[in-house]
Amino acid sequence: MQKLFKSIAAIALAFTTLSCGGGSEKKAEESAEVAVTDFKGKTLSILCWEGYADTKFTKAFEDKYGCTVKGVYFGSSDELIAKLTAGGGEVYDIVTPSPDMAQALVEKDLVQPIDLTKITHYDSLGAKLRSMQDVVKDGKTYGVPFTWGPDYLVYNADVIKDPTSWNVLFDPKNKGKIALWDDISSLYLAGILLGYDKTDKGAIYNMNEEQLAAVKKKLMELKPQIRKYWATAGELDNMMKNKEVVAAIGWPLTPATLKKDGMNVKGMIPVEGATGWIDRLMITKSTTNKDLAVAWIDYITKAENMAKVAEATNYSVANEGAKAYMSPELQEITQMNNTTYYFEKLNFWQYVKNRKRYNEIWNEVKGGTK
Amino acid sequence: MFLKLKPSFYLLFLPLALWMLLFLVLPYTRVFIQSFYTIDDFGVLQPALSFDSYKRFFTKELYYFTLFKTFGLSAVVTAIALIVSIPLAYYIAFKATKNKTLLYTLIILPLWVSYIVRAYAWKIILGEEGILNSFLQFIGFIDSPISALLYSDLAVVIGMVHIYTPFVLMPIYTSFEQIPTSLVEASKDLGANRFITFFKVVLPLSLPGIITGGTFAFVLSLGDFLAPNLLGGSNTLFISNIFQNMFGTSNDKPLGSAIGIVLLVVVLFVLDMSSRAEKRYSSLNSDRT
Repeated sequence: MQKLFKSIAAIALAFTTLSCGGGSEKKAEESAEVAVTDFKGKTLSILCWEGYADTKFTKAFEDKYGCTVKGVYFGSSDELIAKLTAGGGEVYDIVTPSPDMAQALVEKDLVQPIDLTKITHYDSLGAKLRSMQDVVKDGKTYGVPFTWGPDYLVYNADVIKDPTSWNVLFDPKNKGKIALWDDISSLYLAGILLGYDKTDKGAIYNMNEEQLAAVKKKLMELKPQIRKYWATAGELDNMMKNKEVVAAIGWPLTPATLKKDGMNVKGMIPVEGATGWIDRLMITKSTTNKDLAVAWIDYITKAENMAKVAEATNYSVANEGAKAYMSPELQEITQMNNTTYYFEKLNFWQYVKNRKRYNEIWNEVKGGTK
Repeated sequence: MFLKLKPSFYLLFLPLALWMLLFLVLPYTRVFIQSFYTIDDFGVLQPALSFDSYKRFFTKELYYFTLFKTFGLSAVVTAIALIVSIPLAYYIAFKATKNKTLLYTLIILPLWVSYIVRAYAWKIILGEEGILNSFLQFIGFIDSPISALLYSDLAVVIGMVHIYTPFVLMPIYTSFEQIPTSLVEASKDLGANRFITFFKVVLPLSLPGIITGGTFAFVLSLGDFLAPNLLGGSNTLFISNIFQNMFGTSNDKPLGSAIGIVLLVVVLFVLDMSSRAEKRYSSLNSDRT
C-alpha cells in the first residue's frame, strides 16, 4: 500500500514539475543556474541535531549545485555552544538550534540576519512559527523555522480512557506508572500546571525563586507516581511497550513507533496546554559561504523538500505545503494534518536565562534533596 | 636510584611518561584549573580564581548529600560483590578440580559483553513483565508483579554487583591460588576444622586480593553513571549523574570540574587506604617464607 502510494506521489510530483512552467518558478530556476557555477566544489557545513543533514534531502541539493553538504552533529545545546565557540579549524555555515539556545546565539552575535526576500517560500512557513520574536533583533530576523513538535501527553489508550487533563499523571490509579522527560522542560510543565503561563506565555521560561519553589513542590508531589525519568525517546517507547508506564510527557515519535507494534498508544494536548519546540535554520557569523547557506535555506524550506525532511526525521516541518507530498500516515505522525490546532495550543520554548538554576532545581527533584 | 639505571631504561620509560602526561596529568590539570573558573550567562568559561563552585558543592545538600549517598550505595555494592566472590573464588580455587578453567572462564565471560548490553539485560530480567516477575508469578510466589525490582536503587545495586563481580573475583581467586596447599593441610593436621582453617589461614593470606577486589568494585561504582541512568528510578541520583548533567545540559563546567576534583580526591584517598592495608596484610606472606 505504501509502495503504491509512493509511486503515485512520484508520478504526481513529476507532473507538477512538468506543468509548473510559469513565471516565478522559471525565475527561480534561472537564478539557480547562475548559482551552479558559483558553488561548484564548495562545502556547506551544517552544525545540527542528528538527522538534519540526511542524504535523503541533501543529495538533490548537492547534485543541483555541485557542492557537498556536510553535517556535524551535536547531542545537546551545550555541545552546540562548545562547537560554535571553539576557536580554530572548523567553520560552520548553518546551525540548527532549539529555542532554548536560539536567542542566546543572536544575543551573543554568533549568527547573522537573514535576507528573507531571498527565501522564496518563507511566507508558506507556519505563521505562528514565523511570529516567534526570540530570533528577531532590531527588526531583523536571524532564524528560519525548520522543524517543530509538541511535548504532550502520551498515554496507553487501553488503560486510560480519553484523558483531558494532565491530572491523569496525579491519578492514584496510575501510581508508579508515569514517566517524565529527564529535562528541565518538566519544570515548564509544572509551571503550566500552576497556571503561570495564563497571562504571559513566556513566564514559565523566566520563573522567579518563589515560583521555582512551587514548581519543585509540584514535581515532588508527582514523584511517588513516577516510574522513571526517560532520557531518550527509545527508552520511553520501551517502557510503554513493556507496560511499565501508562502515561508520560513525550513526543509524537512514541505513538507513531508503538502503533507499528500494534499498541494503542495515543498523544494529545491536555486542557492546561503543553510546550512545544521549534528548531531554526541560522547562518553563522563566521561563514565563508553565505550565498550557499542562503541557497540551502531556500532549497530546504521548499514544500517538497520539507516533506523529505519529515520523512527522514518523523518531525513536523515548518512548511505546511509539505503535506501535499506526504502520505496520510506521515501527516498524522507529524500532525501536519492539524497544524492550526497545534500552533494555537502549544507554548513554544523560549530561552531560559536562568538555565543553571532550572537544572539545579531539576536535579534536586531527582535527588529528593534541598 | 634512577641515576644508576642505564639509558635504555629511560627509553623504555618514555612512552609511559608521555602517556601519563597526555592522558592523565594534562587533563586533570585542566579540570583542576577549570574548577576555579566562573561562567557567564551563556555558559562560556571565564578565567578566574573563584571558590564558588566548591562552596556550592559543600553548602548545597543536592551535591554533598548525593556524594554521600553514592558512597553508601557503592559500599553496599562492594559488600555484596565480596560476599558473592569469596565463596565462589574459594570453590573454584580449592574445590573444583576438573572444571576449574571452565568455571573461571564462565565468571570472566560477561566481561566480553558490552556494559550497556549487560545493563539492558537486567531491564529484561527485572521488568514488570520480565523474566523474574513472570517466574515468581508462575510458581505462585507472588500475585502481582513486584515493580520495585526495576527502576529503583535496588536494580542499580543488582546491576552493578553483576557488572563488577568479575573484577572482584579475579584478584581474590589469584590470591587463593597462591596459597600453598601445604599450609592448608598443616592447619588441618593441627586439628583445625574447615571453617577455622578458612578464617585463620586462608582468609588472612588472601586479604590483599580481597582488598584489591573490593577497591575495584568501590571505585568503579563511585564513578558509574550508566547503571543509575538505565536501571535507576525516580529517586536514583548518583554523583556522576550530576557530573554528567553539568557538562551535558547545565553548561556549568566549573561546578562539574569541582565535583570531579572532589570525587578524584575521595578516590585517591580510598586507593591510598587500600594500598596501605594491602601492604600491611601482605607482610603475612613474607613472614611465611
